[in-house]
Amino acid sequence: MAEFLQHCLNALILGGTYALLGIGLTLIFGIMKVVNFTHGELYTFGAYMVFFFVMVLGVNFFVGIAAAMILGIVLGALIEFVLLRPLRGASIDTTMLVMIGAWIALQNLEQFTWSGIAKSIDHPFPVEPLVLGPVSVSWIRIFVFLFALTLIAGTYFLINRTKLGKAMRATFQDRDTAALMGVNINHICTATFALGSSLAAAAGALLGPVFIVMPTMGDGAALKAFAIVILGGLGSIIGATVGGFILALVEELGAGYISSGYRDAMGFGLIIIILVYKPTGLFALKERIG
Amino acid sequence: MSRWFTVAWVAFLFSIPIWMTDLYFLHILITTGIFTIAAISLNLLLGYAGQLSLGHVAFFGIGAYTSALVSLGFDLEISDSYTLVFDPQPVWLAFVSGIFVSGLFGWFIGKIAFKVRGAYFVIVTISFAEVVRLISLNWIDLTEGPMALNNIPPFTLGVPGLWEQTFYQKIPNYYLVLVITIIAYIIVRRLVLSRAGRAMIALRENEALASSVGIDVTRYLILATIVASAIAGAAGGLYTHYIRIVDPDIFLFIYTVTMVIMVVTGGKGSLAGPVVGGIIFGILPELLREVASPEVQWIIYGVFMIAIVFFLPKGIVPALTAWWADRFKSDGHGSKAVRDSR
Amino acid sequence: MNTTATDSAPILSIENMAVHFGGLVAVSGLNFVVHEKKIVSLIGPNGAGKTTAFNVITGFLKPTEGTVRHRGTSLNGLRPNEIAERGVVRTFQKTSVFDGSTVYDNVLTGLHLRGKSRSWEILLNLSRVRTEERRLRETATEILDLVGLLGRSRELASDLPYGEQRLLEVAVALSAEPSLLLLDEPVSGMNPSETENFMEFVSRIRDRGTTILLVEHDMRMVMGVSDRVIVLNQGTVIAEGTPTEIQHNPEVIRAYLGRGSADA
Repeated sequence: MAEFLQHCLNALILGGTYALLGIGLTLIFGIMKVVNFTHGELYTFGAYMVFFFVMVLGVNFFVGIAAAMILGIVLGALIEFVLLRPLRGASIDTTMLVMIGAWIALQNLEQFTWSGIAKSIDHPFPVEPLVLGPVSVSWIRIFVFLFALTLIAGTYFLINRTKLGKAMRATFQDRDTAALMGVNINHICTATFALGSSLAAAAGALLGPVFIVMPTMGDGAALKAFAIVILGGLGSIIGATVGGFILALVEELGAGYISSGYRDAMGFGLIIIILVYKPTGLFALKERIG
Repeated sequence: MSRWFTVAWVAFLFSIPIWMTDLYFLHILITTGIFTIAAISLNLLLGYAGQLSLGHVAFFGIGAYTSALVSLGFDLEISDSYTLVFDPQPVWLAFVSGIFVSGLFGWFIGKIAFKVRGAYFVIVTISFAEVVRLISLNWIDLTEGPMALNNIPPFTLGVPGLWEQTFYQKIPNYYLVLVITIIAYIIVRRLVLSRAGRAMIALRENEALASSVGIDVTRYLILATIVASAIAGAAGGLYTHYIRIVDPDIFLFIYTVTMVIMVVTGGKGSLAGPVVGGIIFGILPELLREVASPEVQWIIYGVFMIAIVFFLPKGIVPALTAWWADRFKSDGHGSKAVRDSR
Repeated sequence: MNTTATDSAPILSIENMAVHFGGLVAVSGLNFVVHEKKIVSLIGPNGAGKTTAFNVITGFLKPTEGTVRHRGTSLNGLRPNEIAERGVVRTFQKTSVFDGSTVYDNVLTGLHLRGKSRSWEILLNLSRVRTEERRLRETATEILDLVGLLGRSRELASDLPYGEQRLLEVAVALSAEPSLLLLDEPVSGMNPSETENFMEFVSRIRDRGTTILLVEHDMRMVMGVSDRVIVLNQGTVIAEGTPTEIQHNPEVIRAYLGRGSADA
């Protein structure tokens, strides 16, 4: 029983960051209809930025995380402006191929810059875990969890209670009508991509210190993000959040009770099953045609 | 022009081992050929049927592993009391089973994946390849996992007892790969220029319209997938009996990406596209080996693909074909004249 | 498929069709019949449910209620390609051609149902495949000649001027050899002379034995070419009859001008 609780607790902690990844991607996917293969690279970027600021420049840990998120916004906006804006109106295949090219270029740039050796990031939290009865959790992970929750809440607030969010939701519902009502689609797209990217960077920044930092860390993260988007339904923040926690839970329990080697496969197996029975995902806001 | 060009080109390819003494370069040509076959197969699905299938390496790998396992034989503990013992089979039979099993998986995944479209479909295909990779990594009893299957027998043709020819050396393997490449090309060509091919192109260009004139969209999508996966399985089989060692890394997404880059830059939806793309991306890494590290090479490829999508969206072969045609179009109804008058 | 169809037998019957989208009622209690070898027009103000009815008939939309019958057989639950196989083919409101293909290939693709080659036969390049291919190509040339687009064969469908694209659309639909052809606003955007040509073209198709069900707003086309007119408003039939009868029907006038103004 204690083992079960520990798994649930781990899942809770991990789920928060997974949710960030998923929310970022579902926004980009949903509003811009772009298969964003660079999402994983923003995750990696976030982790490397924290490494750079904290380990190389010696900056304060929390400032490092903030810096990573801000740079995530910048990189996201840059990618959107240079690669996606000129292709506005092109088919989904075309943008997808460009994103694949960008993903390859970015990942190898990371590898070139930082070399393939894994890096670790020091953090200011006590190493001794907090013991709560039968379960234990490390302080850094508690921080990660709380910070992730804050970001999720913040994003939810942004999308549902601000003017910018309203414009984004309108663009998601019906781009043409939104444009007719005065929404600047170009700005919204850049903002969406930047926001989504910074959430991915945040996830990387938070998990970098928990695990280790490698140039290929983004690939697994990207696949999980895709899984979460499908699980939760395109465009649904709540869906992505719940999806993130569900995926973390499935992974934890699957790895704990079935086999740890197949941990990553759990998520995919889950997606494929869900898609077969409910192709729109668990919480989809818009019904698919056909 | 094209028929003579093709004959000359094929004759040239057949002549290479006669005058090319550098065996290492021959090896490069062989691996390039294997990847080209995979690219030709992906082109059917991605270029002609227009499906963003990004799990294609799974079929390549399944073909490779199946052929390896059938030719090596394996023991599988089904339960505590029963162990399935599979004896090694002749290589040509293993090769054929690899094709068959890949095709089967293609059919199976097609039935599932095509329930969804667009971006969801992309994700399902990627997930499928990842799942297969993880299975090959973890099902050590069958696949040896990361320890790899090795000592895989080389290709053997013939009837045991009567006559046998084993392909240990590079030159016979080169011809084997060349012949299979030509066969793969002919298969795709026949399909694409037929009624079935028109149906595939139609469903890519306008699915609703295709449906309205009686084209069973799902049926042709699945047909494209089966043929594409079977051919990819053949490429995998060639790989396994040439390199003679296979491990789960064969399922890495980066290989799908390589195939996609070959198809897209060469020209998706054109017959020669994947061949040109395959040659470029098979040989280019060798040429660049001295001057650029792998990471830098990949950065170049990534940027190159972006550039192609921006500037030559149809790919190199269609761009060259259009340029060539424009040079010779002089009658009043030429396509160039019509375009200019719009 | 029924073999004999007399001139007055219904080729299409819509029985109690209803289509609800969530709370919105697009079509309700829709009943009408189309007879063999006639040109019937479906008219009505925007939102009356005409394209919705088309979508249901051709299998692109599932009705909430009701049955669609083609020569007595129900089409309910069939997919669009199965319905096309039975001889019911449609065009689309928004110009729909295979835009990356040539005019010739568009029609050749439309001839899909007229071919029977199986995949394995194609791969082996059997002679019956080659013969069939030759026959299909000849038929494509005939059809293009019939609609007057033969000179444009090698051009890309997307390069054609608008009027000719719409003509191509109909040519492609005809290639599928329909017994019932559904045309969705075929002359919208055409100038008067193009419309005249099209009206004549449609009559020729009817004379060659194909029944036509037409959705149109262009009244000159509707009145000039129809044997019968059915008027829809708010998802149900409010009137039907010959063009002349419809022109003078007060219900119809009221539907088009709106409730406020026709109150007398």
